[in-house]
Amino acid sequence: MKSPSALARITLFALVGAFVLVPLAQTIVTSFVSTLPRAGIAEGHFSLINYQNILHSPVLQQAILNSVIYVVLNVALCLGVGLPAAYAFARYSFVGDRQLFFLLLVFRITPTVVLSLPIFVLFAQIGLENTPVGIALVHCVFNIPISIWILEGFIASVPREFDETAFLDGHSLPSFFFRHLVPAIAPGIGVTAFFCFIFSWVEVVLARILTTTGGKPITMAINALFGFRTDFGLVMAMTVLALVPGIAMIYFVRNHLAKGFVIRT
Amino acid sequence: MKPYDNRAWFLVLPALVIVTFVGILPLVAVTNYSFQDLFSLSNPYWVGVDWYRNIITSERFYASLGRSFLFSAIVLSIQLPLGVWIALLLQRSRRIVVSTVLVLITVPLVVPWNMIPVIWLNFINPNIGLAGRMLAWLGVGFDYKFNALHTWIVLIVMDTWHWLGLVVVLAYAGISSIPPAYYQAAAIDAASPWQVFRFIQLPKMKTVLSMAVLLRFMDSFMIYIEAFRINAGGPDSATAFLSLDLGEEIQSFNYGPSAARSIVYFLIVLTVAWIFKAATSTRAPVALEPAE
Repeated sequence: MKSPSALARITLFALVGAFVLVPLAQTIVTSFVSTLPRAGIAEGHFSLINYQNILHSPVLQQAILNSVIYVVLNVALCLGVGLPAAYAFARYSFVGDRQLFFLLLVFRITPTVVLSLPIFVLFAQIGLENTPVGIALVHCVFNIPISIWILEGFIASVPREFDETAFLDGHSLPSFFFRHLVPAIAPGIGVTAFFCFIFSWVEVVLARILTTTGGKPITMAINALFGFRTDFGLVMAMTVLALVPGIAMIYFVRNHLAKGFVIRT
Repeated sequence: MKPYDNRAWFLVLPALVIVTFVGILPLVAVTNYSFQDLFSLSNPYWVGVDWYRNIITSERFYASLGRSFLFSAIVLSIQLPLGVWIALLLQRSRRIVVSTVLVLITVPLVVPWNMIPVIWLNFINPNIGLAGRMLAWLGVGFDYKFNALHTWIVLIVMDTWHWLGLVVVLAYAGISSIPPAYYQAAAIDAASPWQVFRFIQLPKMKTVLSMAVLLRFMDSFMIYIEAFRINAGGPDSATAFLSLDLGEEIQSFNYGPSAARSIVYFLIVLTVAWIFKAATSTRAPVALEPAE
């Protein structure tokens, strides 16, 4: 294996960048174009009409709000239950720990379409359909395993003496968690939040089956825009808006992105 | 050695309660449905293993299974080497280049899955799409709707666009965890770049790469929304993968048959996870220890 020169490397990275960006570029351009005949705007010309239409649509705004609610709830839930569980896996061995880890792995890789029918029936019976809370709960099935997995790696990299010193200083377990552990693994919390966020934000199968009549997130609101005469400009504008929080999160965790997976099982 | 303490169960309990509620409970319910004919949920009729027999004796099931395996095999054999290669090149690059490339390559991961086919259909549209017009201008008779090979190419390129970032991030995480002492030892031994890769980098990346293989295999094996939107399994069922069959049945609210199919698919997942676990935990470590 010969090591390529810096120039060859940069060329390859540029190609990869182009491969990622060019399909997206067309989407972004379309979002700034009026794609339906409208009075006063030439079809196919630059215009902010699509974004203005979003501002004037309570349905689309509610969808954005629903998405934000469920994703924030989901990340909070996964971090809240994932942190103690990850601590248990990182620091102790206990009856059934390996089996439990395997169970979590299985649920992480179970395709959502396999669980969608029973979850639909179950959630309809207990009144958790058509609400962002239902989506937040249901996305835990793949995000709790992810959060435990990533957090466990970060906690394991903190020396055990760190815990013992804090306990000797008279900290209780909860107080140790919030005052010492969380600050010590702050990048890990960020990376975990990022991955929980993206996997929840982009999931559509469970989100669709749980919001047939109401509580629709952005993804389903976009689906509802398709019809006899689809306003593609509006669809693309909503898509671009749906990318903004994710890209912002990538930017914040960019220096820690790759560290989340230095795992030892 | 970690201390043995069963009180640790209290710490995993909240996570387990939620996973039970949204994972195990639905599986129990669906197992129950899979043995019944449910015209409506209040009117069950016991049919035993009829639905299962229908699935495992149908040719369509094996055809879909084969197509899903083929798709996963192609996807893995492209994305894995490419992702590892990019990660290896990143490792020799400056910090600013690394974070720029990582940020760029992870952008497709935050695109909602139902929008990925919309973006790509727009991109390859022969009238308005950049790629579509380019292909038409080059005189390529590109027809993803009626040419099975072209549909496959679109799906594979689209899936690579979507998921390459995850493989690169995982591979880069593995490489950047290697202490510099390993490379110094290799330099002293005058190891060739290939030997460095084979005996230092690859073994050190093993854990994260096996995770990448598992995640990419499962997600591509059960590809649903993306494949459905591109050509709805066509042309002539050439891209009818496992999930599309299940999705179709759920959409038409065939509770019994789709429950049985869900269970069959879940058993496939369980088998894959088990093979994965067996393969990764029994293999002896082959890491080259640095010379002291």
